[in-house]
Amino acid sequence: MTETTEKKESPIIQVKNLYKVYRVGETKVFALNGVSFSLNKGEFCAVVGPSGSGKSTLLNMMAGLEKPSKGEIIIAGTHIEKMTEKELVTFRRQNVGFIFQSYNLIKTMNAVENVAMPLSFRGVPKKIRVEKAKKYLKLVGLEKQMDHMANEMSGGQQQRVGIARALVMDPRIIFADEPTGNLDSKTTMDVLQLMRRIVRERKQTLIMVTHDNYLAGFADKQIHIVDGKILKIEEKQHEDEEEQN
Amino acid sequence: MRFPDLLAMSVNNLRRRKLRTALTVLGVIVGTASIVVMVSLGIGMSEMQMELMESYGSMTAINVYCDTYSQPEGGAEPVYMTDETIEQIRRMDHVEGVSPILNVSVVMRQGQYTATYVNLMGVTEDYMKQITVGEGDYPKMDGSQVELLFGNMVIQDFSTGRQGSSYYETGELPDVDLLGQPMFVIYDVDAYYQSMNSGSSGSGGDGTTPVKPPKKYLVPVSGIVAGGTDDYNQYSWGVYTDLEALKTQLKQVFKKNPIPGQPVNKKGKPYNYFIYSNAEVYVDDMDHVKEVQTAISDMGFQASSNSDWLEQNQKQSQMTQMVLGGIGAVSLFVAAIGIANTMMMSIYERTKEIGVMKVLGCDMGDIRNMFLMESGFIGLMGGVAGLALSYGLSYLMNHLPAVNQMVMGGMEGDISRIPLWLAGSALVFAVVVGMAAGFFPAVRAMKLSPLAAIRNE
Repeated sequence: MTETTEKKESPIIQVKNLYKVYRVGETKVFALNGVSFSLNKGEFCAVVGPSGSGKSTLLNMMAGLEKPSKGEIIIAGTHIEKMTEKELVTFRRQNVGFIFQSYNLIKTMNAVENVAMPLSFRGVPKKIRVEKAKKYLKLVGLEKQMDHMANEMSGGQQQRVGIARALVMDPRIIFADEPTGNLDSKTTMDVLQLMRRIVRERKQTLIMVTHDNYLAGFADKQIHIVDGKILKIEEKQHEDEEEQN
Repeated sequence: MRFPDLLAMSVNNLRRRKLRTALTVLGVIVGTASIVVMVSLGIGMSEMQMELMESYGSMTAINVYCDTYSQPEGGAEPVYMTDETIEQIRRMDHVEGVSPILNVSVVMRQGQYTATYVNLMGVTEDYMKQITVGEGDYPKMDGSQVELLFGNMVIQDFSTGRQGSSYYETGELPDVDLLGQPMFVIYDVDAYYQSMNSGSSGSGGDGTTPVKPPKKYLVPVSGIVAGGTDDYNQYSWGVYTDLEALKTQLKQVFKKNPIPGQPVNKKGKPYNYFIYSNAEVYVDDMDHVKEVQTAISDMGFQASSNSDWLEQNQKQSQMTQMVLGGIGAVSLFVAAIGIANTMMMSIYERTKEIGVMKVLGCDMGDIRNMFLMESGFIGLMGGVAGLALSYGLSYLMNHLPAVNQMVMGGMEGDISRIPLWLAGSALVFAVVVGMAAGFFPAVRAMKLSPLAAIRNE
């Protein structure tokens, strides 16, 4: 890793002492109970934990979909916990890509339109939008399915469209919430390797939430969360696999 | 987001649920059509009334009266309308023309036919211009000679004097040729009636000396007011001539004697100038009639115009229009509820989709605008179709004889009129109502939590 020095100077995501408290009747439930860590640019990070551990809550807060009860989230130097909802939307539009577990493609649109949609939020003209969408669909290996509607594709294909949709914005950070949760094991491996390859090539930061320790093993950094607290942070190098691809 | 993209998304969403959209639009169609048709009926009625009124006289004319008999008692100088007053009025703002009307009652005679109490009116060119001549031409207006312009119904006045021979009794027009045969005018009517009475009661059994019949004058007839003998307009019953010529003629006939109809001073002597009992003032625009009328009233004359009761009429027809429009508005209101309902349904259905869009960075304003456009589109489609339906209904009402007969009782003209402003505002209104109905659902959509999209089912 050549950019080590640069990375250390400016982590792209810093989470400091983050709390999230839900009230369930009289009792308080701590979804997150004092979480702190930081991520560098270009890192592939997996947030691992059993269900109910608070890993999704953490992801949602980093993506600005939920407000923390306490603590700081600094992304690329900006405190997003203080932003209004409107500012958060703008922030997401400019910096964040999102991959969902249930793909969440718009059913009335075909693959190209689905991928092009986030660009229309930015006001990109249609011609450029479609061009870009096609390029990213090729990148995820869907040359032949461009005109297919969402329900005419398999789960793996749909998730590839979902990935293309996240990539088309050229975001600095991509959040993926159990991206392979609805896929069979073979497709899971395809999709995971695809994500990792693209993110690495493009020096984007990918944060993936999963409950599967094996899948988390593909990441550069694993954050293990149990009961709202960080159990351990593992870092791993994956030089060997890169040669395989 | 760009406007065309927003538009495309909205339209796509509407196309997704064709039947539901169509039903909602149908509601708006009925609402729009009922408003437009109702208001068009109101407009038709008030315009027909207006046309009827215009046939009674110009809307920009003011009638000025000066009651010569009810002048202030005592030493106060009576306020009379003289040539000087007329000049004063002529100089007022917005006054385009003014004409005093010198009214004399005369007897006319042609062959065996006589017409009594004929209204001979001396007027100026301003007045004459208002009259449309049918046969013949306008009389000479240079003051040299009295020439007559007959009202188109005056001919009904002529009779032979025998019992039961008049037009009102027989329904047959007298055989009078106004333009072809010579017409005699008797100005000194008092003398005429006296001579008639003495003639009929034999040779003065009551001791009065028979009066010599007054002189009759041969007067050329220049034309007849346009219209048949029973098409009424405000000039139908008068005989018109040049004011100056009439003045000269009257002075010549009566010499030093008082001219009938002209007031006398305290000593019972006539004035050495003419005094008019009424005059007509022409104003440049209907909007200024009131102003000029007030100014003339302030001079001490009674002024009235068609705009007096026009105003009243307008108020009344405005009321009618509002009531009719209100009835229509109720159905559009119901349609608006339908739109709101449809939009709410649509938002519930698309909760997840809206959430995804928010997660992917779609601006909150864009989401709101997208839904507003959808509901506005429903309004627009309903408005356009409703307007087309209104034109159809309007055409039917105006052209089906049965409807025509029932609604208007056989009056001429279109009962339902859709002016351009009504069509335009109906469209705008339909869109605005659609958007207003969609506003709260749209705001609701905007505020939906993006988390809904993340939740896995």
